[in-house]
Amino acid sequence: MIATPVRPRRLWSQRLGRTLVLWSASLAFLVYVLAPVAWLFSSSFQTEREIVSKPPHWIPHQPTLQNFAAIFAAKDRSVTYETRRAADPATGGYIPSTAASLVPAIGNSLIVACAVVVLNLLVGVPAAYAMAKIQFRGRPVSIYAILATRVIPDIALVVPFFLFIRNLGLLDSLWSLIITYLAVTVPFSVFILVSYFESLPDELDKAARVDGCSRLQTLTRVYLPLSLPSVVAVMLFAFLASWNEFLLALMFTQTPKSQTLPIIVASFTSDFTISFSFINAAGVIAVIPPVILAVAFERYIVSGLTTGAVKG
Amino acid sequence: MARIRFDGVSKRYGDVIAVRALNLDIHDREFVVLLGPSGCGKSTTLNMIAGLEEASEGELWFDDEVVNHIPPHHRDVAMVFQSYALYPHKTVYENIAFGLRMRRIAPAEVDRRVQDAAKKLEIANLLRRRPSQLSGGQRQRVALGRAMVRQPAVFLMDEPLSNLDAALRISMRAEIKHLHEEMRTTFVYVTHDQAEALTLADRIVVMRDGLIQQVGTPDEVYEHPSNMFVASFLGSPPINYLEGAIEDGASAPVFRRGSLRIGLPAGKLRDVSAAPVVLGIRPEDVMRDCPAGGPVLTGVVDSVLPVGSDRFLGLKVEGCDVFVRVDKETRHAQGERVNFGLLPERLHLFDKVSGGSVFGGAA
Repeated sequence: MIATPVRPRRLWSQRLGRTLVLWSASLAFLVYVLAPVAWLFSSSFQTEREIVSKPPHWIPHQPTLQNFAAIFAAKDRSVTYETRRAADPATGGYIPSTAASLVPAIGNSLIVACAVVVLNLLVGVPAAYAMAKIQFRGRPVSIYAILATRVIPDIALVVPFFLFIRNLGLLDSLWSLIITYLAVTVPFSVFILVSYFESLPDELDKAARVDGCSRLQTLTRVYLPLSLPSVVAVMLFAFLASWNEFLLALMFTQTPKSQTLPIIVASFTSDFTISFSFINAAGVIAVIPPVILAVAFERYIVSGLTTGAVKG
Repeated sequence: MARIRFDGVSKRYGDVIAVRALNLDIHDREFVVLLGPSGCGKSTTLNMIAGLEEASEGELWFDDEVVNHIPPHHRDVAMVFQSYALYPHKTVYENIAFGLRMRRIAPAEVDRRVQDAAKKLEIANLLRRRPSQLSGGQRQRVALGRAMVRQPAVFLMDEPLSNLDAALRISMRAEIKHLHEEMRTTFVYVTHDQAEALTLADRIVVMRDGLIQQVGTPDEVYEHPSNMFVASFLGSPPINYLEGAIEDGASAPVFRRGSLRIGLPAGKLRDVSAAPVVLGIRPEDVMRDCPAGGPVLTGVVDSVLPVGSDRFLGLKVEGCDVFVRVDKETRHAQGERVNFGLLPERLHLFDKVSGGSVFGGAA
């Protein structure tokens, strides 16, 4: 009786305080994460002069698409010391000397990433099914072995990989990247899939086999449809890992024939002069494929994160 | 048509032996229940029939064929699982039809069989739902339907009723028995529930630690258990055991424990000098009146436990707890000294060391 008029007010103020704290913390985090991305987008629509102006313009005063146009027109423009000297740096009138390689590099990156995704699934899904559901001698060892490869940092593998790739005669070929990225991504993919398959009941496997499925059919008709969230997670992981990879690509690729996006974009910063407008436009283009993937599979990503909890 | 024969079959997992040298002959169209506690090897045995596990030793025969190496999808068996194992991503209809589709049955025939089974199991209105939208009982019916439509030579069930509530379990028992009569095929059913085994089976196979303890009709296994394990596994509440010794009586041997003396049927004992022994008395095998000269159980009432239809009395008999069943009208006070008549032919006597029955041959 006595407490009733007081308690709601205190609760209300407590709730408000908590909401405020949560909101401001979330906001700070969002700004921290999104500000660089926002600047990337904003500046990709600005001229060189506007980008370097002080204070910076978050919203372009004179939005322009010329940076993007320059990327796709790069192959028709020759970049020499003379053309650069003639151009005015402040207007973005020049492009990096490797600019013409950017569009082919996007193609290379897409080819490598897609090949790595497909091969990851072809190798990882059956391997994970076998490790999760088939009893065989050495099964625990094989799981540990495959996980152990993940504790080795990539830098330690660069030299063995390099010798391996050189002896296969695959230097400066997309295959060098596909093969080494597989070695790096497959263990993690298998790990994700094994834990997901293990969470699916064994009786489902038995039921399918008694119902007339071979092992392969059990996998394709029962397990795969049920593991879409983890399969999507694996696809995204493999795609992003290949799309972003820098170190191995730097070692194995030498010419625009095989160079990928991160290598070319990085080369823009080591030119005679740096064109921020061009680099930022290239950065935006590099962000687009992963964003499309994430949006397309958003439904599965969210359910993939929570499936462990709601598995019936 | 399927007769299943285990010929010296063992199953090992590393150092663990799940099933040891199993010899068992399951007749065509028989309803056999594998009964035992968890870890006794009954599910492993069932999985070997299904082909989900391969025997480590010995031969498994279907009729005149050794099937050890034949994978499950090439065996004519259907199976119902404890967790039902319905495919969560398929509708009820697709769940039931899946086995038929995998065997390339014509679509019209698939539809006919699915509709037929759904009607029989009263799930025709659920065909378009997904398993997650069904109750436990409904899922169980779908699992039965999935096995039924296959019209298999062997129908396997692995504790199919364990996840249902008590009332539903009893009604499903009747349905399964019905199903067996209708399908006229071999049923092998695994359970740890003795009541289920006694209700359903043509023959019960009692297992423990990978070994068969006894094979027989429900009556044989219940009335003439071959050892103490079988005797105590069947019956609820379980059989009472009294340790004691055998003495020669005037006309027949007598069981003695302290001042308690119980006359045993003459001529049934395998070896009179076998001592020490354990006398087994089932709770329901006592009578309120004691026939003159017949064996009598004397004890002091320690507890009274009404269960609705009957009452159970906890007695102290020579320092041992003995539970007996009396009808619900009988009234006894705690601390009261009571006598119950016993039927000699209903008594069980076991060797204390080996646990085996000391009564020779079935009565």
